[in-house]
Amino acid sequence: MKDTVISFNNVSKIYKLYSSTRRRLLGIFFKKISYKKKNAVDNISFEIQRGDSVALFGKNGAGKSTVLKMITGVAFPTSGEIKVNGRVSALLELTSGFDLEFTGRENIYLKGHILGLKDSEIKALEDTIVEFSELNDYIDQPVRTYSSGMKARLGFAINVNIKPEILIVDEALSVGDAAFRKKCQTKINEIIHKDNVTLLFVTHQTAVAEEFCKRGIVMKNGKIVFDGEVHEASEFYKKMK
Amino acid sequence: MKRIINFFKSYIDILILDIKEHIENMPQMFKLSIADLKKTYTGAALGWAWAVIKPVVTIFVYWFAIAIGLRQGSDIDGVPYILWLIAGIISWFYMGDTITGGTDCIRRYSYLITKMKYPVTTIPTHTNLSRFFVHCIIVVIVIIIFCISGYTPPIQIIQLPFYMILMFLFFNAWSLFAGLISAMSRDFANLVKSFNISVFWLSGILWNVENVKESNPLVYKLLMLNPVTYLCYGYRDCFIMNSQGSVNGIWFWEHPKRLMYFLCWYAVLIFLSLWAYKKLRKEIPDVLI
Repeated sequence: MKDTVISFNNVSKIYKLYSSTRRRLLGIFFKKISYKKKNAVDNISFEIQRGDSVALFGKNGAGKSTVLKMITGVAFPTSGEIKVNGRVSALLELTSGFDLEFTGRENIYLKGHILGLKDSEIKALEDTIVEFSELNDYIDQPVRTYSSGMKARLGFAINVNIKPEILIVDEALSVGDAAFRKKCQTKINEIIHKDNVTLLFVTHQTAVAEEFCKRGIVMKNGKIVFDGEVHEASEFYKKMK
Repeated sequence: MKRIINFFKSYIDILILDIKEHIENMPQMFKLSIADLKKTYTGAALGWAWAVIKPVVTIFVYWFAIAIGLRQGSDIDGVPYILWLIAGIISWFYMGDTITGGTDCIRRYSYLITKMKYPVTTIPTHTNLSRFFVHCIIVVIVIIIFCISGYTPPIQIIQLPFYMILMFLFFNAWSLFAGLISAMSRDFANLVKSFNISVFWLSGILWNVENVKESNPLVYKLLMLNPVTYLCYGYRDCFIMNSQGSVNGIWFWEHPKRLMYFLCWYAVLIFLSLWAYKKLRKEIPDVLI
């Protein structure tokens, strides 16, 4: 039986580019103010089933991040229909949703509250997250004092441990040292196989993607140019370069 | 005809969504507002004391300028000028902070919009709530001050929560509207900041609007249309027995016309905030990044 968790139906996303912020402000009130259109995602359709692990390839500006943002519910399509079933845990960029003034531990709670978890549920996960992030004493320091690697570690630790149903990883594995990267890969593999989590993975390193993705989608200029087996997709992507 | 119905329906839908988001996210909202409060006051050595020090200093400066400098500090409505000033100005501390703070709220919490899925309509509410907690503490202190100084507030003090809630709701609608617009462009925040000071001086916070009642009835009427003046004098009605020249104090229903004007302003603001939400909700994540 098919269990579709994500479906895109003729989805397009157009960004409005104004020549200045003043014109953007006027654009709210007057329709006449002109702007350039950037077609970031151009009429794409695809479906992802529960338990799939999909790699998204594409050059900078191909529209990968826009697709991920629309799945997360952060950005909205200009036209078309998107259906998403399940709790999405997204690692969009490194500092995903941290309050810089709060300590790492407070941020664990903040993030948990925003996702609607109860205090007791977060408390149960707290130690696992702290341990996984390897931040030790730094966990009680404000996040603004963290290096980008530390932020990424904390972000990753939170997102994989709050029992996501759909996990979105956007380039986050490219930071951190080799040992931590290995640990993340093991963890991702574990939750894919054990909890039947759906994974969407964006990277430029095709080798990493081939390790735990079965399917690959290649995007170019907002369109899907290849959708199939991950090794073929990675070959296609390499040739495209 | 159908277009008019659809027009109203689209706004009512957003209003329902707005209320639904507030109900569903109540616990998160409270936790975020407490977090917001912590963020404002921790990190400074005196911490929480600033919540009180700042208003005390401001009140002293205004009292000094008006009473000592301009020699205008005679008793008003049977209470010393300084008490009359305090009763009104505490509402302005909330209103003034919220007029500018509400304009910044969406930008300050941009990570809730660009990095995760979060109900946007509740962001102004939780930032305003954190200011409102501080306001409640100040109100309690002022009640104590009135009692100690021998001018115990009249029975009308029990209507204070009415004005407080009215003020909270009014500026909540403002914050959603202003926050959304200023998220699109910083120009709007600058515009609001420069207008804020004019609102303060035109609202009868430092000087008694009753003074112009006889000499300039039209100006008086216009001033009373101002929602900030309405709330400020509402606060005074709660604290001062002979407020606005009355004998037994004034209840909020004794000025039905003023209340109606205020509610009209409120309706306009709600409409504007819904309009802004409808127009900008889908664009804001693209602009904030």
